[in-house]
Amino acid sequence: MSVEDDVPSLIEPSSILPAEGDAGTGGTVPLTIICGFLGAGKSTLVKRILTERHGYRIAVIMNEFGDTATINVSSPDDPGAQSEEFLELANGCLCCSIKDSGVAAIEKLMQKKGAFDHILLETTGLADPGPIASMFWQNEELAMGLGRDIHLDGVVCVVDAVFGRKQMEEDHAVDGIGESLRQIAGSDVILLNKVDLSSPEELEITEDMIRGINPVASVYRTVRGQIGLKSILGVDAYASRPFTTASLSQVETFACGGDHQDCGHNHSHGQTHYEMRGISSLQVDCPTLTSTQLARLDEWIRTVLWESHLPEGETTGSGLEILRCKGMFATEDGKTYILQGVRNLYEIAEVEGAAVSAAGVPDLGKVVLIGKGLEEPVRRSFQSLLTL
Amino acid sequence: MERLRALSLDIFRRLGIQGSFFCGQECFKANWKTHKVIHDLATPKQPLLNDPNINKDGTFNPFGAYKFTGSLRPVYPLSPKREVPAHILRPDYAEDGIPISESKKAGQPPQILGPEEQDKMRTVCRLVREVLDVAASHIRPGITTDEIDAIVHEATIERNAYPSPLNYRGFPKSVCTSVNEVICHGIPDKRKLQEGDIVNIDVSLYYDGFHGDLNETYPVGRVDDDLKKVMRTARECLDEAIKLCKPGALFRDLGKTIEPIARANGCAVVRTYCGHGINDLFHGAPTNVPHYAKNRAIGTMKPGMTFTIEPMINLGHNWDVAHWPDEWTAVTVDGKPSAQFEETLLITETGVEVLTAGKRRDDLYS
Repeated sequence: MSVEDDVPSLIEPSSILPAEGDAGTGGTVPLTIICGFLGAGKSTLVKRILTERHGYRIAVIMNEFGDTATINVSSPDDPGAQSEEFLELANGCLCCSIKDSGVAAIEKLMQKKGAFDHILLETTGLADPGPIASMFWQNEELAMGLGRDIHLDGVVCVVDAVFGRKQMEEDHAVDGIGESLRQIAGSDVILLNKVDLSSPEELEITEDMIRGINPVASVYRTVRGQIGLKSILGVDAYASRPFTTASLSQVETFACGGDHQDCGHNHSHGQTHYEMRGISSLQVDCPTLTSTQLARLDEWIRTVLWESHLPEGETTGSGLEILRCKGMFATEDGKTYILQGVRNLYEIAEVEGAAVSAAGVPDLGKVVLIGKGLEEPVRRSFQSLLTL
Repeated sequence: MERLRALSLDIFRRLGIQGSFFCGQECFKANWKTHKVIHDLATPKQPLLNDPNINKDGTFNPFGAYKFTGSLRPVYPLSPKREVPAHILRPDYAEDGIPISESKKAGQPPQILGPEEQDKMRTVCRLVREVLDVAASHIRPGITTDEIDAIVHEATIERNAYPSPLNYRGFPKSVCTSVNEVICHGIPDKRKLQEGDIVNIDVSLYYDGFHGDLNETYPVGRVDDDLKKVMRTARECLDEAIKLCKPGALFRDLGKTIEPIARANGCAVVRTYCGHGINDLFHGAPTNVPHYAKNRAIGTMKPGMTFTIEPMINLGHNWDVAHWPDEWTAVTVDGKPSAQFEETLLITETGVEVLTAGKRRDDLYS
């Protein structure tokens, strides 16, 4: 096996450009999951990232087979030449280990070959990024901060501007949620690709559909997957750690209801409720909380995420399932908290005090839920915990 | 594991070598030079080469090229696979090593056991405690961990139970024996315990369709103060965590109690391995019961849930884990010792029942 037989050579991490995600991550390597609709242009995007002269040392992992994964590394020294390795994934002998064998294999490779600046994990076909993101996010708890540990940067989804709407409306539903919708719901950056082949009206409809399902993702219109790397890598979408000003401004934008001047789109936000084949997003306002309310909020989130029902036991019609949740709110004692969650994994973490004053956090926070069964009873249930 | 079996069958059967295990072709290739000597030993008599990995009595270290983190070395060959009488109920992985029932139930919430099932758990856990106590009574300098494995195996089948570790994902023995810097999953071999060692014996039984899991760390003869400290700390971590267990308690909160205790004693909490749900599955939901603070573990304790808490505590500040080439033995990265204690617990309507509870170990409390 090529990786094992090679004599490991010392490789300096790229010093041309600063390693991404350094601030506040303790020097761990960011990992981005790339998913996408069939034929949307995911491979073109990945190929571009591998071959372009961006100065980053990026590894792309494609998990095509069960027990091996191909890893292509783009090196800043020679971007044209990609080295190809095979990662052999251990046989799952590590029972009771929370470190996944695939993650362990990637970290082992970095130990041998030196740290990468960024890792891309390209998922196959219509894979749902949620469980994969959840696994990498959980794995952060095992990080040593040695520069060879991985942290989850975010999920990127490539949507076909021409056939995307049809795919969303018609694709095969697993547990009542279409696979393409799961991808959109679980993503942090969405590339609406091949816009040159579609009409402005169609683009508007498709984009509205996407934003309706996932109001917290950034959506970009692209041609042939062309987009600045900074828009898709280093987004820090799962940050719960003390924020840098860059990351905070993204959250700030979100907290203000997503009304950014520079995107020029007209999207409806606030309390609207958009539903697409059972999947929808719900935005709830969250005022400054007392400590009791914060505890009840945590209880509410964990009941909904872990047990898929509302705390009072009241069931919603079509079954409750949260795919992603995000929120930011303040408490009476002046602290700010970030809620991050994917599938049933979540965290409510305090943001550094200094950042609060710097960002001018508004009194009102917001919580966004994306998933299935998010009907009126859910909103009412959430709001009822605020009336204490 | 197929390759492992293939190597074991073809080559070693031809030479009449029993129980030789290699973890894969690469490992085998890397150790061929050393290992070839054993083949020579097994066929016509040849003079012994002056190889530091081979002991005078013919035992050997199969991983000569591996950079061990401490002074412990494996002592091979492993003894032949022990048989379990046909009348004893076996778990689904007994034949092929694959716990298919665990995969089938993956993603489901933790089981809530009814009164009859809870009684079965009480029974198997009582048996597990008996077997561990029997094994522990034999600890003395000079006994090999393989002999302890034989004792555990015999005591288990005497009770008409199946030793859960045997062939679970290919584990070759009936008990895990972890000496000094081994954190967990040590494979019993021909190494003799020495005065001054600590050894963890991790026993699991499968009886009447349910598993029980228990481990304790024991001193071998007289041990130094650091070893006493790490054992006492691990026991205290487990005791205090158990006190938190009751309906409504969160699995993610256990680490908040465990980690400060470890830290206060100059120790670190292992993160890679966690406690786990246990019932008709050896390892079931909740699949992660972390022992460290600030974790995102999922789940609220409810009456009828059965699971383990099993903190692994390392002396010093390194919580990380390295693995021997056998793909099981987990060791500390700095070679410092590690201690562990484990109990199987049942959440009751009002609190917790320690199903595997045994007599209080006076050596662990001042």
